[in-house]
Amino acid sequence: MISLEFFGILIVTLILYWIIPRQSLRNILLILASFAFIYRLDKWSVAVVAGLSVLSYLLGILIHKYPKKNWIHACGVVFVLGFLILFKYLGFLVGVFNSLADFISALPQFEMRKLLLPLGISYIVFKHISYLTDIKWGLTKPGRFIDFLLYSSFFTIFVAGPIERFERFKPQVEQSRQPFSWSNIDYGFMRIVFGLFKKLVLADWIGYFIAPIWANLHHYGQWTRLLALLGYSFQIYFDFAGYSDIAIGSSRLFGLKIMENFKNPYLAPNISQFWRRWHISLSDWIKDYLFFPLSKLSNKGLWQMFFVPVIAMALCGLWHGAAWHFMIWGIWHGLGLSALQIWNQYKRKHKQLSKASKATWFNYAGIFMTFCFVTLGWWWFR
Amino acid sequence: MEEKLIEFIRDEFLDEPDTELTESTKLISSGMIDSFSLVSLQTFIEKEFGKRIPAPRITAESFDTVKQMIEVIKQF
Repeated sequence: MISLEFFGILIVTLILYWIIPRQSLRNILLILASFAFIYRLDKWSVAVVAGLSVLSYLLGILIHKYPKKNWIHACGVVFVLGFLILFKYLGFLVGVFNSLADFISALPQFEMRKLLLPLGISYIVFKHISYLTDIKWGLTKPGRFIDFLLYSSFFTIFVAGPIERFERFKPQVEQSRQPFSWSNIDYGFMRIVFGLFKKLVLADWIGYFIAPIWANLHHYGQWTRLLALLGYSFQIYFDFAGYSDIAIGSSRLFGLKIMENFKNPYLAPNISQFWRRWHISLSDWIKDYLFFPLSKLSNKGLWQMFFVPVIAMALCGLWHGAAWHFMIWGIWHGLGLSALQIWNQYKRKHKQLSKASKATWFNYAGIFMTFCFVTLGWWWFR
Repeated sequence: MEEKLIEFIRDEFLDEPDTELTESTKLISSGMIDSFSLVSLQTFIEKEFGKRIPAPRITAESFDTVKQMIEVIKQF
């Protein structure tokens, strides 16, 4: 994302965007710029984005037309998710199956050519699932194809999110003319500068110091390893928050407001609050389309308190990459959420504890413990 | 509707039942209600008022106070 291609396309598109008088033509310009950007990075992804957008749009129309036919929505979600599984997880799943076949001789072994992972596939698939489901729930309507194609491909949020919702995006590009405002330009450039600082100065410098330690962990003592883990905790935050700042700032230059993705996550007093501040667009997605529907499957306490957070967060981990360590990282967070729920119930039964938990020191202790928990979790993630 | 919601929230989620709870008390953003509790709240609204509120509407921005909850419930 931080490349000559990105900033070159951004500046040229920005100038043309505000010269063009009509919003519909501006949207076409943004689509062309987005496809040019995607093409420069990965030619193959252009076909995937265009194809997936046409199919999801048609599915959206069908879901809107037949809202009571749940199977259309279910097939649509399975179909879109199938793209992600095919490109991102099939190799991983075949690997898991082959590992099983090593132990059980009756099972056959499979060989598979590695498929090229299209750029931004995880983001686009999640955006399309939310689009189809929001239509099903009556939160949004299909609208024009051109708006949906822009939503799918918009180059400022294509590679690293945020996973914006169509419901918020659509009214902004649908209006007759996005008004020019210097405050948007000021704000946009300021966020880009902040983002570049977080990424290039803070994240990359921390990375420069800790990379040699991570490369030879067994050469170092416990304290140095712990320091490397602490460094990574801040590196990953500045890295990702930096990208989000650039994405939000670049979008604002075109007058488009994209949702915030980070709100001081390391100051969260518990793990639930952490997920309301870290990668907000993803955690909201997990909450809306996984956590709530899964919770509704059963009223049993064990299901809601243990299985739902663990399953939802394990899948959240897998979204980051098709590997066991991402899944373990997700399960770690799922267990943390589950433990918090048990703690909250325990606290409710013990009034003394409940009163003590309102003290300021308790809040600071919570922040410290949450930070330690999250930082330990990064061990699996890296 | 307001009374029923306040009663349910007080009984189910508050650590201390005598905590002051009005229609404008911030519940999600203050951490008083977590994601787990929101699922129970969604189920309660569905059973009590016959309205199924989609999860994307249950956020700290749009569903934070009882007053906001009532506004959202009326939309469905």
